[in-house]
Amino acid sequence: MLWYKAWLETRARFLVSVCAISIISAFFVHHAERVISPEPKRETYFLLFFVHHYLVGLWILSAVLLGMGGLIRERAIGTSSFTLTLPVSRARVAGVQIAVGIFQAILLAVLPWSVILFTTDLIGRAFPVSQAAFYVLLLISGGLVYFALAVLISSLIEGEYTAPAVAYGLVVLSGITFSSVDSLRPYADLWRFMGGDNHFNHATYLLSGPFPRFGALAALSVAALMLLASVAVIQRREF
Amino acid sequence: MIGGPVIQTRSLTKSYGRLNAVRDLDLFVGANRITAFLGRNGAGKSTTIKLLLGMIYPTGGEATVLGARVAESKESREMRRRVAYVAENKPLYPYMTPAQMIRFVSSFYPDWRSDAAERLMKEYELPADRKVKSLSKGMRTKLALLLAFARRPDLLILDEPSEGLDPVGIEQLLQTLVAQSAEGISVFFSSHQITEVERIADHVCILDKGRLLVDASLDDLRQSYRRIDLVFRSAPVEHEFRMTGVERIETSGHQMRVLASRNAEMVVERAHALNAVSVETSPVGLRDIFLETVRDN
Repeated sequence: MLWYKAWLETRARFLVSVCAISIISAFFVHHAERVISPEPKRETYFLLFFVHHYLVGLWILSAVLLGMGGLIRERAIGTSSFTLTLPVSRARVAGVQIAVGIFQAILLAVLPWSVILFTTDLIGRAFPVSQAAFYVLLLISGGLVYFALAVLISSLIEGEYTAPAVAYGLVVLSGITFSSVDSLRPYADLWRFMGGDNHFNHATYLLSGPFPRFGALAALSVAALMLLASVAVIQRREF
Repeated sequence: MIGGPVIQTRSLTKSYGRLNAVRDLDLFVGANRITAFLGRNGAGKSTTIKLLLGMIYPTGGEATVLGARVAESKESREMRRRVAYVAENKPLYPYMTPAQMIRFVSSFYPDWRSDAAERLMKEYELPADRKVKSLSKGMRTKLALLLAFARRPDLLILDEPSEGLDPVGIEQLLQTLVAQSAEGISVFFSSHQITEVERIADHVCILDKGRLLVDASLDDLRQSYRRIDLVFRSAPVEHEFRMTGVERIETSGHQMRVLASRNAEMVVERAHALNAVSVETSPVGLRDIFLETVRDN
């Protein structure tokens, strides 16, 4: 039932995020499509590439929010002593919290893109599902690094508002650093990776080439390491 | 029913830098009785309880609860299945309703008593579907107690359980604790309410500045502590009464008041030997015993 607690704890954040992102994306697609409707089909593809970049930004904002929580936040609001006296290990408490967060982060990418596909279909500008899946996979595999960063920060820094402030600060700082240093950009610029810039074909406005398995694996490994570190921190902390 | 001690610590120590929150604590809490854990604010009561429940780690020494070593995470986890704890500030998830809290907590305890939970919901007049954050402090306290009582624990650890309760609630609580004890559940509770302790406790432990100063049954304390009021023809000499067991001497003119934790009869004998005009011996309440103990420390 720890999943039940994790869900009740985060459902408001999740539902607000998923609704906001989906509505904004659908509205953007629908509204922009009217403006450029006489244009050839590939303009729609460019529009969706554009929309996806907005979605990436909103997704990161939401994923960081979803990563906040856990036992350190509970300590700040006083409920950690209740959770810690349950007959479960700290690792399990943290693990379930992380698993629910990852599941919500995945839905946060899949549901808005489903709404986008539905909207494009509705206005007669169908978009290939395989392309949508490509965008979603890039978003999730790269984006989980930000989620894991938020989890790690929230296991290190106490305070209901301090931890998200630090996490958002680090997200912005890392984004600026990795995008402005030429030697780092091809390997560490997660925003480009998640946005699909490395695979964008300027002629067709579609993502082309094979899915970057090694890049995704590297990003997921970094995320996994940060999540493991956060569990280790929780196990050693005193409440 | 459990045999040996439900809680035992040996030289248990917890330090935060130079501050010793708990110092060489040797605690022995017997089974099937109500043990009160008394101490001033900052005496180390809550720290001791947190050590016992694995929320913080000891700097030195060791502790067992229900035979499980608290420093061993697996043993501690199994122990927590048999222990119910109600913390001082009654922390409950603000985003859940009482019904959701019950559903959540009951899933961890195979012996959960749904009938008891339902009965207490009615008795405490708890709203099932109101968010915890909108409940009064008294309601939250009652819900925390319900969650503890309904899980059929072997040991109840309560930190200031009556805080936030009105007189009716306190009465219900005390009766429930006595009833739980009668069912074979050991109770270990900290409190600042001496009158409550005197009503229900079998055993008393007094902690001050992290050290255990008193560990005795309430009956023994009541029998051994005596206040002796003496009147002399001339001003008495205090040092004549400085002997083992004499905790405090107050002199005012020809009168003297002696508080003895033991050997009261020797004080009386000495008073008669010094030709006291009047010698009156009276029992001492737990409040005075507590105040005297922590004052001396």
